[in-house]
Amino acid sequence: MRWFGAVRTATGGMLRHKVQAVVLGMVLLVSTASATLGLALLAASNGPFQHAFSAQDGAHLSVTVNPARAGAGSLAATRSLHGVSAMAGPFGEATVQTQWNAQPFGQLTLVGRSSPGGPVDDVVLSAGHWVTGPGQIVLNGLSGGGGPTLGNTVSVAGLAHPVTLTVVGFASSITNSADGWVAPAEVSFLQAPGAPPSAQLLYRFTSAGTASQVRADLAEVTGALPPGTVTGSGSWLAAESQSDSNGAIMEPFVVAFALIGLAMAVLIVANVVSGAVAAGYYRIGVLKSIGLTPAQVVVAYLSRVGVPALAGCGLGVVAGNLLAVPVLHQSAGAYGVGSQLVPLWASVLAPAGMLVLTVLAALGPALRAGRLSATQAIAAGRAPASGRGYGAYRLASRLRLPRPVGMGLAAPFARPARTLVSLAAIAFGATAVIFAFGLSASLGRAAGIQTLSATVPVQIQQNSPGGGPNQVPTAAQDAAVTAALRAQPGTARFSEVFENQVKVPGVTGSVNAWAFSDDASWVGYGVITGHWYDAPGQVDVNTAFLTASGLSVGDTATVDTGTAQVTVHIVGEVFHPSSDPTLYGSAGTLPGLAVAANVDEWDVGLRPGVNAAGYVQAVNGELGSGSPWAATTQHDGGQFYSIAIGLVGLLALMVAVAAGLGVLNTVLMTTRDRVHDLGIFKALGMRPGQILTMVVCWVAGPAVVAAAIAAPVAVALNTATVHAMAGTAHTGIPASITQVFPPSRLALLSLAALAIAVIGALAPASWAARARPAVALRTE
Amino acid sequence: MIDHSVIDHGAPGDVIRVDGVTKAYQSDGLPALAGVSMSVAAGEVVAVMGPSGSGKSTLLNLIAGLDRPTAGTVTVAGRRIDSLGESALARFRARHVGIIFQFFNLLDDLTVEDNVLLPAQLAGASRRQARARAGELLEQMGIESFRDTYPARMSGGQRQRVAIARALVNQPEVLLADEPTGALDTATGQEIGRLLRSLATAGQTLVLVTHDPEMAERYAARVVHIVDGRLAGAGVGALR
Repeated sequence: MRWFGAVRTATGGMLRHKVQAVVLGMVLLVSTASATLGLALLAASNGPFQHAFSAQDGAHLSVTVNPARAGAGSLAATRSLHGVSAMAGPFGEATVQTQWNAQPFGQLTLVGRSSPGGPVDDVVLSAGHWVTGPGQIVLNGLSGGGGPTLGNTVSVAGLAHPVTLTVVGFASSITNSADGWVAPAEVSFLQAPGAPPSAQLLYRFTSAGTASQVRADLAEVTGALPPGTVTGSGSWLAAESQSDSNGAIMEPFVVAFALIGLAMAVLIVANVVSGAVAAGYYRIGVLKSIGLTPAQVVVAYLSRVGVPALAGCGLGVVAGNLLAVPVLHQSAGAYGVGSQLVPLWASVLAPAGMLVLTVLAALGPALRAGRLSATQAIAAGRAPASGRGYGAYRLASRLRLPRPVGMGLAAPFARPARTLVSLAAIAFGATAVIFAFGLSASLGRAAGIQTLSATVPVQIQQNSPGGGPNQVPTAAQDAAVTAALRAQPGTARFSEVFENQVKVPGVTGSVNAWAFSDDASWVGYGVITGHWYDAPGQVDVNTAFLTASGLSVGDTATVDTGTAQVTVHIVGEVFHPSSDPTLYGSAGTLPGLAVAANVDEWDVGLRPGVNAAGYVQAVNGELGSGSPWAATTQHDGGQFYSIAIGLVGLLALMVAVAAGLGVLNTVLMTTRDRVHDLGIFKALGMRPGQILTMVVCWVAGPAVVAAAIAAPVAVALNTATVHAMAGTAHTGIPASITQVFPPSRLALLSLAALAIAVIGALAPASWAARARPAVALRTE
Repeated sequence: MIDHSVIDHGAPGDVIRVDGVTKAYQSDGLPALAGVSMSVAAGEVVAVMGPSGSGKSTLLNLIAGLDRPTAGTVTVAGRRIDSLGESALARFRARHVGIIFQFFNLLDDLTVEDNVLLPAQLAGASRRQARARAGELLEQMGIESFRDTYPARMSGGQRQRVAIARALVNQPEVLLADEPTGALDTATGQEIGRLLRSLATAGQTLVLVTHDPEMAERYAARVVHIVDGRLAGAGVGALR
């Protein structure tokens, strides 16, 4: 007890170093928070769908039935079928055409559920609340992204009595079992006149891992019900495939950020802790001189860092979990899963790892302190590092720089190890920031190329109220669209797009073929290699086509359109992230495709200055409510990019904050080491502003070097990440997507290193500038 | 020999004037200085004496503008410095005050020349002028051959000469020396004392803090005694 009593007394004295204890605690707080978040993100990117599917009791099979054909008892009896492990429903279901903001909002499958939970398909509410009565709707997906928000109304068209639904919440079903949920009693009001009733049954099976097993499960259910009862079905494997595709695209940059965050946390903690112990050598000497044994000294110093470290780690894991809420909300949206949580093991491993790291970092200097004799420790604690950096000071004094600037720039050479740590922290932070800007720009370009938003602000799609999902527009209705577009003065150009499946020898299965009525080069597909077709007989293809066929740009292929066999010359590879092989050509090159049944859409380019929303309204007014076609400004595929860009920004900000804190710590340690020198400078007439400048310049030099390192590393990281993301999306990428760093922008972004350094150094620099000279001179 | 009649409350030609100065480091503790008033005329050499903890270094810090009084006023070179902001105070120190410390307070990572040049550069002197002045001073102090040497490689006496050169580089109206021989052996201390006396003879105003009565007697024109933060009396030194 007496042994520990002495240690306790010694430690209590040391805890009077409040600033250092606070900084140590803060660094561990931020490091533990970033480590928790990093581990959570790594966990989130590891089989996100599988984890969410398990946590949310996802439905292996969603079966749509006509309840009029089978009694409630028969439907309920399917719960005890062989292989069924759980069942939910029947839930009333209606497929409706909707409008939002007086614009077509598309066809939605709405399901009546009184609560989001249940034995199967536990729907996760992400905003608002669940429906509490008629007139309310909870939409599937996340709020924002250009769609309706909470409190907006969605009107249902084509009913005997118009129905308006207020959006009260947003929720996610892991298998997208519905587009929205309403109160069970609402469903009967949503049925179109004359349409048969419809209900949804959700199943989990003991075996549903493969498509054939799911087919067998469906057959089991179908066979147990009267003929004609089952009208549709959906397998969980389709949702898994879509989600895994998104997850795989996300994974490279999430992992990159997580690793940057973890590496920096380790670096900063090691530096802070070892610095804190080394800074106490003088006191160690004093303690030894009054009789503390080496073992007591080691324990005292481990205790010294232990208390703030424990507090920092404890608060850090809480902060990490709190930060993870919005980040994982974003990543869940991008992965297409309802929700993601910080796994318990991450909340344990992050603080435990940081504590172990703290102990290891403290152990070396503490053991050294234990071995030092009292006089050696006192000398080591008092004597400044001698002989280092003198040449740099000498050189700085010869330069025609203001003296505080010159002395500040020379200072890092006096403590090269500490300077390297600062430099590494700044480089990590700057890399993250530059990488984030680059990746955002790359993703923005990819989104622009994929959605064609810059060149095709308006599309005419089959999306009209009352049109019905399987209705084929007539040639007259198609002609009305062409006439309406020609009549609009805002129309710059348009192209009718036909789509159908074709056969290409060498490619297993069908190939999507898109035929354009006119010159479609203006549409602006991103060309990876070659060029957009500009002559009859030429086609472009996507990467998946080249992979599946083994062909290359410049080769020829035979295309069987169903009505003719043509030989086409592949002149370009275009950016189209999809695993489905697709080719693009003119209607003349692909005979038989340009028929009314194959019309998919019209791509419309507008004259400069024309408002897209107004144009859409005018075209829809011209087409009238009876047309199966409607103009829209919406583009699918944009939400993934906006979520991913948001996530990138958040992650970069976190890494930059941690880097700034690392700088703050090293500058703080240096100001403590040099407080006496600062007193001398002040006594000689150095003004507070000059002190501030000098201290900031301590990190300005390393920041410039860090910027020089970070810029090429970030460019390489961005290129590698974008290529990795593209690879998982089964596509190559146009060079323009990675060429997002013109020299001027890269130079500007490199200033992030300076910004991190200056912001990190500013607080200790201000403390140094404000310190009274007499106090500084007295401080050792 | 203490002559109480020597304690004065200032005259128009004073370079240093301290009026009713109190300095307390803790609000509830005894003040380090309590109601001290004194003045120093231009060209005068005053020694401030007292036992350890009497407040003499605190008084010097207040005159140097290194610290601020809790109450009272401090006027140096015609300017009240107790109410100046930190930047103005720093500028004032650079131009009007030279300080010599007991433990030299040289910057170990700068050469002798750079140590001497620094205050001149901070005061805005051109490098050429500053170098010329530094060269003169190093020669005057007899250490011109150590121009490119680092202080850690010099003896205590040599280092104090560098510190004196540094203190004089801006030709300050006031030179303040806090136990300038306290860290030196007797012979070296006497050398430094003679150097200070030659400066005083040349008209340099000097306030010398020391607890060495012999030094005070030998080198100062007037000796001020401080005990427990209060002026206890004054005497006459040999320089008068």
